[in-house]
Amino acid sequence: MADFALTRRFAGRSSIADAAFKASTWCFAVLVLVLLGAVIIALIDGALMALERFGPSFVITETWNPVRETFGGRAPMLGTLITSAIAMLFGIPISFGIAVFLTQLCPVWARRPLGVGIELLAGIPSIIYGIWGLFVLAPYMQAHVQPLLIDTLGALPLIGPLFAGPPLGIGMLTAGFILGIMVLPFIASIMRDVFDTVPSMLKESAYGLGATTWEVVWNVVLPYTRVGVVGGIMLGLGRALGETMAVTFVIGNAHHLSVSLLAPGTTISAALANEFTEAVEDIYQSSLIALGLILFVITLIVLSAAKYMLIRLQSRTGT
Amino acid sequence: MADSAATRGAAFVPVRATSTVAAVANPAVAAAARQVKIEIKDLNFFYDKFQALKHISLSLFDRKVTAFVGPSGCGKSTLLRVLNRMYELYPKQRAVGEVLVDGANILGPGQDLNMLRAKIGMVFQKPTPFPMSIYDNIAFGIRLYEPLSQSEMDERVQSALERAALWGEVKDKLGQNGLGLSGGQQQRLCIARAIAVKPTILLLDEPCSALDPISTQKIEELITELKTEYTIVIVTHNMQQAARASDYTAFMYLGELIEFNLTSVIFTRPEKKQTEDYVTGRFG
Repeated sequence: MADFALTRRFAGRSSIADAAFKASTWCFAVLVLVLLGAVIIALIDGALMALERFGPSFVITETWNPVRETFGGRAPMLGTLITSAIAMLFGIPISFGIAVFLTQLCPVWARRPLGVGIELLAGIPSIIYGIWGLFVLAPYMQAHVQPLLIDTLGALPLIGPLFAGPPLGIGMLTAGFILGIMVLPFIASIMRDVFDTVPSMLKESAYGLGATTWEVVWNVVLPYTRVGVVGGIMLGLGRALGETMAVTFVIGNAHHLSVSLLAPGTTISAALANEFTEAVEDIYQSSLIALGLILFVITLIVLSAAKYMLIRLQSRTGT
Repeated sequence: MADSAATRGAAFVPVRATSTVAAVANPAVAAAARQVKIEIKDLNFFYDKFQALKHISLSLFDRKVTAFVGPSGCGKSTLLRVLNRMYELYPKQRAVGEVLVDGANILGPGQDLNMLRAKIGMVFQKPTPFPMSIYDNIAFGIRLYEPLSQSEMDERVQSALERAALWGEVKDKLGQNGLGLSGGQQQRLCIARAIAVKPTILLLDEPCSALDPISTQKIEELITELKTEYTIVIVTHNMQQAARASDYTAFMYLGELIEFNLTSVIFTRPEKKQTEDYVTGRFG
């Protein structure tokens, strides 16, 4: 009996602590939702004025005239999407190559230094990328890369207009390129980590059928790790969509969308960073917040699309 | 056993000596013309500085099942992995010596590794279906080397699954992921995948160690069927399995080949005391 009472007392004591612990972790978890909700409400509230004044035309018109107080967000919206697309175009294949090399082909002694190097690349502040982009990359693009693109791809039908115009150095292509370099370490290190999770026996089974390293990576390693790989790409894309500083340096900040990728443009985050200090009129400020809301929605759509894609992939292969 | 004395007299120098033994011990084995498929000559294997195989010389016969048995770490899996040079995937592992498959040394520098592995099928301790449909699991290896039309491919997939005794269970769900099958089915899928590319040799590395007794029985029956077409080498920890499923048994200990002979001889009248102790369960 005495033992029983003792256990009960301990049980009673720990159940209070347990309940308190449970309640507090609940609170922390709920806090995330509260913060998310607060951000959404603040954005909608701030953007309301602009959205009421301009309506749907805010997303389809290009005019951005603070003097006459007419605003349209098409240029930064599309600029954000285009620069991110260019970043992914550069970033994904290179990251994939890095991850494949590090996990499948690299001699053991070089694995750590290279891995650390990639992680350090992720640690460089974005302002440094911006400075480097403006003073090193942009002049190089202007002197060498862009003239070459204009002379070769620019002369082709269909895609020619994408590479037309004078070589300015700065512009959408340069911004996309910088973004590509910035997202590279994130995508590469996640791909490397998930590639390392593939059981060696599974890879050996494919090698055992006479597959080459490429065939093993493409047909076995990649399908096995697809969830992680898509996750890594989405993380990179999320960073590319929201990246501000480096892009602001090299994109040229023109509220005008050209067909040519060599022309200057702007992105939502670059426009916000550049113009917040000047936005004294309410409608100007509200228009900028509306841009922020659009960026938020774009990110949400991208994440949902990725989730949906994963579910489709999984149901198709039946796991 | 009347021929007991003769068997003991024949001793352990397997290749030539056992052919006379075989005639006495098992007329059925002797009746089938025995042909050496794989000849291992003075093979040494190193993991960096550690020597895992020491002076192994051994002949494996065409269309026979040879079992490698021995306690953990004796080098039997290592020996198996030398036969398709799987060890080459890893740095600091090297084999010294000769392994002749159909008379050609596969350890030679001119050997094309992918072609070698396409001709030698391998099945592992655990089922390793690829993350793709059942159909694609089988078709994967075929596609690497043979451009087949859809109907030819369908036939090849079906015949591989039939030979692996899996067709009846999966014919209605070829499009489903191979990971959805049970463990025993997955392992038969792996065997089907290995034989789909028409190898001449099958290497089985403890193929039943992760399976239940019924699945194990199915795989063993399958091995007996497949040996009419393939030279099969099986690594096993299970003495009963070696006794049931194999024609020849090699007992290894600490990287050395202790004894090699007909399975019936190894399990009833082994030459060495060590072998007897191991196969009867007194050590190891």
